[in-house]
Amino acid sequence: MSSPVRAASFALVQRSNRYKTFFLLLAMFLVLALLASWTVYYLGGSGAWIVPIAVLISVAITWGAWWNSDKFVLRMANAKIVTREQAPQLYNLVEELTIASGLPMPKIAVVEDSAPNAFATGRDPEHGVVAFTTGLLQKMDRDEIQGVAAHELAHIGNRDTLVMAVAATTAGIIAIMADVIFRATLFSGGRREGGHPFLALIGVVALVLAPLAAALLRASVSRKREWLADATAVAYTRNPQGLRRALETLRDDSTVVKQTSTAISHMWIESPLAGGLGQMFSTHPPIQERIDALRQMGG
Amino acid sequence: MEIALIIVLVVLVILAIVVIVQFNRLRTLAVACDEGLSQIDVQLQRRADLIPNLVETVKGYASHERKVFEDVTKARAAVGSAKTVNEIAAADNQLTAALRGLLAVAEAYPDLKASANFIQLQEELGATENRVAFARQYYNDQVRAINTALTTIPGNFVGPIAKVTEREFYEVEEVSDRATPEVKFG
Repeated sequence: MSSPVRAASFALVQRSNRYKTFFLLLAMFLVLALLASWTVYYLGGSGAWIVPIAVLISVAITWGAWWNSDKFVLRMANAKIVTREQAPQLYNLVEELTIASGLPMPKIAVVEDSAPNAFATGRDPEHGVVAFTTGLLQKMDRDEIQGVAAHELAHIGNRDTLVMAVAATTAGIIAIMADVIFRATLFSGGRREGGHPFLALIGVVALVLAPLAAALLRASVSRKREWLADATAVAYTRNPQGLRRALETLRDDSTVVKQTSTAISHMWIESPLAGGLGQMFSTHPPIQERIDALRQMGG
Repeated sequence: MEIALIIVLVVLVILAIVVIVQFNRLRTLAVACDEGLSQIDVQLQRRADLIPNLVETVKGYASHERKVFEDVTKARAAVGSAKTVNEIAAADNQLTAALRGLLAVAEAYPDLKASANFIQLQEELGATENRVAFARQYYNDQVRAINTALTTIPGNFVGPIAKVTEREFYEVEEVSDRATPEVKFG
């Protein structure tokens, strides 16, 4: 009836997306390093202070959110923690996944919303939270819900809140630096003595492009983590059909989650923001491609 | 002369790091395998604890289906007395088949099927079966990881140093153990 799960294929997808994440983050750091070098060289000694200040601001914003991500996100999404007594089937299917994955049991929460969706958060597996909308729990069967839960638990197991915090911090530093430098060069024109005008031009172009590049790279990292989460979900359940059918249900359902805050939009299993900005800025891969990939794995 | 010394030192340091990393990795995997095995025991025990309740509920509606109850009780005892990984696996498969038989019997009794008690037990039993299966899967994943590490470089050199050896997978050896026993009515 169903073809056997090719054990090699999800592992290959996992490995490939881990490598891709590494190189994407490396690319972001390089952009940052280039920008910082240009700043120090072009603006001179006093201008170099921009680098550590930008780092401090970005770190403070991002890492405070990362550390408290479980409480913060639950409040933002208006999610309510449920107990084993309140949702025995949901509790059971998540517990099964903790056995398969070796992860500690996360907190389980429910969001009142007719649109089917789910998310995971928490600074590390010990502080993990997975949340499901009431719409998802009503519209999906046990295997589908378990597929979604496996995908969310995979985000926790792969420490994606940390990875995305690193990506967000780096992009943030680049954006802050570019902004400050742009203003500085615009008003004071703090050119070093004998500075090359060509270098200045390259710098300005880079300044405008750097935040753009950072945003693109950050979105790309997010998409790779989504592929990784799908493959890891299959590694946990060995049942690609469950997640594949769940994604099909999501694809065919036209309702959108009411909680459309951009701060946490990347964490939902299906992006609640319409793809108006284009595929390159999307935090999630196209849902049909994800479905096709799962079919490749035997789903 | 000095450069040669530095190179040798660097190489030794790298070697030491590799050995330490592999040593820790192998030991961590060994502990994970042990944990995986005891997790299987925990879930099997959990299932065993559920069974009397299930049997009593079904008996309440279908007391004359004696063969099925015997199969389940016998299989449950077999799991309790199994020792090695393979024995546990075989006994576990037998119990799964016996329970399936019991639930198949229950299908013929609409009153039983509708009772809240039975529905709850079905979910619990289904979940417990899943937990046993996932515990097996986790254990096998750890065994695969440790066996792969021990049979590839550099794990194969560090293995004896770490006193870590290959483990056996949780699988059924006898083909006959895979056969589902017949459920006979009347």
